Amino acid sequence: MQPAARGNIDVTFLILVLLLLTFGLVMMFSASYADAYYRKDDSFYYIKRQMLFAVGGLAVMIFLAYFDYHWWKKLALPIFAVSLLMLVVVLFMPERNGAKRWIFILGQSIQPSEVAKFAVILVFAVLISLYGEKMRTFRYGILPFAAVLGTVAALMVLEPHLSGTILILSIGIVMMFVGGADLKWFLLLLCVLIAGVGIVVLIPGVIEYAQSRFQYWLDPFSDPLGKGFQTIQSLLAIGSGGLMGLGLGNSRQKYLYIPEPQNDFVFSIVCEELGFVGAAIILIFFALLEWRGFVIAIRAKDKFGSMLAVGLTTQVGLQALLNIAVVTNTIPNTGISLPFFSYGGSSMVMLMAQMGVVLSVSRQAALEKQ
Amino acid sequence: MTSLGPNVRMKKRMIFCIIALSIAGTAVILLRLFQLQMVQAEDLQRLAAQQQMRVTSISSQRGTIRDRNGNILAKSGTVWTVYLSPVDIDNEEERQLIAEGLADILDVTPEFVLEKSRRNTYYEIIKRKIERPLADEITQFLQENKITAVGLEEDYKRYYPYGSLASTVLGFTGMENQGAYGIEAYYDKVLSGTPGRVVSAKNAWGTDMPFKYEKMYEAKDGNDIVLTIDVNIQQFLEKHLEQAVIEHNVQNKAAGVVIDVQTGEILAMSTKPDFDPNTPNQIYDSAVAAQLDEMKTALEGMAEGEAREQAEQEYRTALSEAQFDQWRNKVISDPYEPGSVFKIITASAALEEKTMNLGSAFNCTGNYELLPGVSYNCWKAGGHGHQNFAQALQNSCNPAFIMIGQSLGQERFRKYFEAFGLMETTGVDLPGESGSIYHTEEDFSVVSLASSSFGQTFKVTPLQLITAVSAAFNGGELMQPYVVKQIVDSDGNTVEEKSPVAKRQVISAETSATIASLCESVVSQGSGKNAYIPGYRIGGKTGTSEKLDKQINGEVDKRISSFMGFAPADDPQIAVLIMLDEPYMTNPYGSVIAAPVVKNIMADVLPYLGIEPEFSEAEQKYADVAVPNLNTLKRGEAEAELNSVNLKARFVGEGETVVGQLPQMKEEVPRGSTVILYTDGVTTLEDVEVPDVLGRTSLQANAAILAEGLNIRLDGVADTGQVTQVISQDPAPGTVVKPGTVVTVEIIATDLTD
Repeated sequence: MQPAARGNIDVTFLILVLLLLTFGLVMMFSASYADAYYRKDDSFYYIKRQMLFAVGGLAVMIFLAYFDYHWWKKLALPIFAVSLLMLVVVLFMPERNGAKRWIFILGQSIQPSEVAKFAVILVFAVLISLYGEKMRTFRYGILPFAAVLGTVAALMVLEPHLSGTILILSIGIVMMFVGGADLKWFLLLLCVLIAGVGIVVLIPGVIEYAQSRFQYWLDPFSDPLGKGFQTIQSLLAIGSGGLMGLGLGNSRQKYLYIPEPQNDFVFSIVCEELGFVGAAIILIFFALLEWRGFVIAIRAKDKFGSMLAVGLTTQVGLQALLNIAVVTNTIPNTGISLPFFSYGGSSMVMLMAQMGVVLSVSRQAALEKQ
Repeated sequence: MTSLGPNVRMKKRMIFCIIALSIAGTAVILLRLFQLQMVQAEDLQRLAAQQQMRVTSISSQRGTIRDRNGNILAKSGTVWTVYLSPVDIDNEEERQLIAEGLADILDVTPEFVLEKSRRNTYYEIIKRKIERPLADEITQFLQENKITAVGLEEDYKRYYPYGSLASTVLGFTGMENQGAYGIEAYYDKVLSGTPGRVVSAKNAWGTDMPFKYEKMYEAKDGNDIVLTIDVNIQQFLEKHLEQAVIEHNVQNKAAGVVIDVQTGEILAMSTKPDFDPNTPNQIYDSAVAAQLDEMKTALEGMAEGEAREQAEQEYRTALSEAQFDQWRNKVISDPYEPGSVFKIITASAALEEKTMNLGSAFNCTGNYELLPGVSYNCWKAGGHGHQNFAQALQNSCNPAFIMIGQSLGQERFRKYFEAFGLMETTGVDLPGESGSIYHTEEDFSVVSLASSSFGQTFKVTPLQLITAVSAAFNGGELMQPYVVKQIVDSDGNTVEEKSPVAKRQVISAETSATIASLCESVVSQGSGKNAYIPGYRIGGKTGTSEKLDKQINGEVDKRISSFMGFAPADDPQIAVLIMLDEPYMTNPYGSVIAAPVVKNIMADVLPYLGIEPEFSEAEQKYADVAVPNLNTLKRGEAEAELNSVNLKARFVGEGETVVGQLPQMKEEVPRGSTVILYTDGVTTLEDVEVPDVLGRTSLQANAAILAEGLNIRLDGVADTGQVTQVISQDPAPGTVVKPGTVVTVEIIATDLTD
C-alpha cells in the first residue's frame, strides 16, 4: 500500500474533460430545448437537470481525483458484489420499452449496467495487477476474467441490454489484452466472433430481431416511418449540416423529427448545427482524451492504477465511437449514449467519477516522475 | 519499485490500443461523416427540406379583360374559402356548435360539416368562394364563440359584369381560377400572373417552428387585356342575332361577327343562344335543362347498383355534352358550306385573272349542262335569261357562276381558294379554332369546281369566310383577324400592343374596288335589297346553303341562311356576317331572313361609329325632316312653311292662326308627312289606336296608317315592284297615340331568293 499521493493531476486530461463537458452541455441544451419546449412546456427542462448533475459530477470528480485510488482495490470486491446484486434485482423491476434496465430508488433511477461496467474494470485491474506474468496462462489470464465477464454478461442479456453487454465485453477484452493475456486467445475470439456474426446474419431466426435489425441497418429507407425512422432522421440531420453546419441552435431536425434528441442521438444535432468541421473537432477531442488516458496508464506507477486508467479510458472512448457509429448508421442501431453529451443524471455522475479516478491515477504517475 | 508499473509488453499493447481506438476508430468515423456531410449532403438536405418545409401558395390576382373603350368585361374580386381543421376541435360540444353555425350561415347541412369534422386532418374545405357579407358573418361567428378550428382563406373569383355578353369570346375560369375557355383560356398565362409562395419551416407535428425561418416570394398579379371588341357593337349584334334566333326558330344556333375590314380587328362576335360566364356550368337551353333534370330525378330514385352507375354515367355524359355545346363559339369552331356568299370570291378570282370582265355575258335558261348527264338547275325556274357580270352577281345565278368557275379552271380556283386563306385556320387568338374542309387536289374535278363556284361541297368557318370576303373588297389585303388589342400590366404599363397584320395582297386594289361596287349593287338592285338602309352605301351578298351532308331521301332538308354585308361600299370600314343554322321558315333564304338582321345591325353600328348617312337625290324622300315651329302663323304662311320642307298641312278648327301643332316642332318626321295644325284652341282631334299592319304589304300598311290620321315611316327596302311584307312596327298595334304620330314600319322584300 502506497502512502496518499500528493503530486499534481494531469492538467491536459483535465482540460480535455472540461472541454468535452462544456461542449456536451451546450450541445445537449441546443439539441433538447425544442423537444423540451413542445413536450415539457419548458425549453430548459433537460439542461437545468443536466447542469445540476454536471456540477455534482464535477465535485465528485475533484473529490476522487484527490482520493487515493488504492482504496478502490479494497472496494473492488464489495462493489462487484453489489453490482451483481443490482443486476439480479433489476430483473424484477418493471419493464420500460420492453426491457428492465432501471432500478428506481427514492425517485431516482439507476442503471445497474453503469455500476457493473465500473465494477468489472475494478475487478479486472485488481486481478491483472495480482497475476502479473501469470497472465499469459489460460488459468490466470483467461479463466477468471471469462467467469466474471460471463456472469455479468449473462445477467445483462436477461434484461435484455445488448449494447451494454457488448460494451462491457469489449472493455473487458481490451483490459485482458493490455494485461498480457496470450495473443492466441484473441485470435481465437476473433474467429469465433466472425463465425458468430456470420451465423446470425446468414441463418435466419437464430437470434430474434438480429436479422431485421441487420436489414434496417443496411437499408433504413425500407421502413421509413417505423424501424428505419430514427436512423433516417439522424442521417438527414447529419447531411443537413454539410461542411460548416447550420449554426449553433439552428438545427431543424431537433424540432420533433429526431426522437429524444437529448439522448443517444445528440451527436446528429451536433453534426447538423456545427457541420463536418464541428463534428471532427469533437471527435478529435475524444481521441485526444483517449490518448491522454493511455499516456496516464503508461506512466502509472503501478499495474492497478495503470489498468484502471486503461479500463476507464477505454470505456469512454469505446462508448463515444460506438455511439457515433450508430448515429451515422455505420453499425446497427443499439442504445449507447455519448459521454459528456447525452442527457442522463446517473451516467453523468458516474462518468465524472470515473474521470476523477483517472485523474487520481495521474497524480501518482506525476509523483513518480518527480 | 520499477516492476510495479506496467511492463514493456503492456505498454506496447497500450500503444496498439491508442492506435486502434484514437486513430483508426476516429478515422473510420470521420470517413463516414465525410461521406454523409460532404458527398451525400445534397440528397440528404433535399430529403430533410421536403419534410421540414411547408410551401403555402399566395394566389395572384387575375388580370382584367376590357373592351376597346375600357369597359370591364371580366374582373377578379376577393372571395373566401371556409375551411375546418378537425384536429383542432376541442370537444363534442364545440363540434356541434361549429356544425350548426357553419350550416346556418353557409347553406350546407350540419351532417356535412360533422362528417368532415371527424376526419383526422388539418384542412377540410367547407365552402369555397363565398363573398364578403357571408365571410363577415363567419368571422363574427368565430369571434363570438372563440372558435379556432375554422378559418378563412383569401381567394379570387371571376366576375363578368355584362353577363352573357360576348360569353363565347371571353370564355370563363374554373374553380382554381384557371382559364377554361375563350380568351380566359387562350391568354391564361398572361392573365393569371405568377402565384407567390411562402416557404416556412414546420416541425414534425406540422406546426410552425418558433423561429423566423420564412421566405416569401411575392405573387405577381396577372396582366390586363384590352380587346378589339366594342361592348356597344357587341350589344347591337347580340340584340339582333338573339331576336332572329327566336323569330325564325333557329334550330342549330346562329353566329354573327363584326370586323374592321381594314385592320382585321374583331369588333363583335357572338353565338346565340349562349351562356352566362358567371355560372358557365348551368344549362341555359331550357329544353335541354329540363331533360337533364328529368334524368337526374330518375337517377336519384334508382337503387344502388350497376344500372344506377350506368345511368349516372349517361347523365354525366349528357351534361358535359350540353355544356360543351353551349360554350361553343360557332364563329370559329363550326365550318359550314358558305353558299352564295362565296360567289364574291369566285367573282374576285375571275376578274383578277381576267378570265371574265364586267362585259361578259351569260345566258341562263334555268338549267346548265356541265357534262353530258351532269346538269345544274338555277334556283329560278325558267332562268334569268341574258345577264351581264353584275347582274349575274345580283341575281346570284348559279349557272352563270358555274361558267365563271369553269373559266378559271381547277388550278386557278384552288390558287385563289388558298390565297384567300381558306386552306388554313385564320390564326385568330382564340382557342378551339377549326380549319376548313375542302377538296383535295386529286379529287377536285370539274364537277367539284362547278359546285364549289357557288359555295357548296366545301366548308369554312364564319370567321374564315368574313376575313376572306373582306379581302375581296377592302383593297385586296387578307388581314389577320384578332381579338386582343393590347396587354397592360397591373400598373397600367403597356406590355404589348398588337398592330394589324396583313397576310398578303390577294387581289389588286382595282379589282377590289370593282367587287365593292358590284356588292353594293347587290343590295341596291339585287337579292340583297333587304339589307338596304337609306342614306348608307351598303354592299353585301346573300347566302343560302343546303346542308348537303344532311339529306333525307335525297331531299335537302336543312339549310343555313347567311348574309354578309359591309359599309360604306365606297370606303369599306366594317363587315358583318350573320349565319343562321337551320332556321324554321317557309322561305329560308338568306336574302329574306339574314339580310334584315345585318341591316338592323348596320343601322345601329354605322351611326355609332360616327358614319353619317348621306342621302342621294333618289333617297331624299326617305330622309327625315324636322318639323318647323308654326305657332302664331297664319294658315297660308304655315302651309307654305311646311311645303318648303316637303311636309303637308292639315288644319283643324275655325281659326285663322295656328295655336297648336302635332307633331311638335323639331320632331323628326319622314318627308311627305302631314302636320296637324290647331287653329282655334277649341277643336282637337281624339287620340287614335295604332292599327295592326304586321304581315301586310307596304302599300296596305301605308293606307291603314294614313287612314287613322297617323304618319308612316317605311324602314327597309322601299323599291316598288317587290313583294313586301311588314315584319315589325313601332309603336305596337293597339297603342293609343296622338294623331300625327309617326309609325315606323319595317318591311322586307319576300320575293327575293338567293
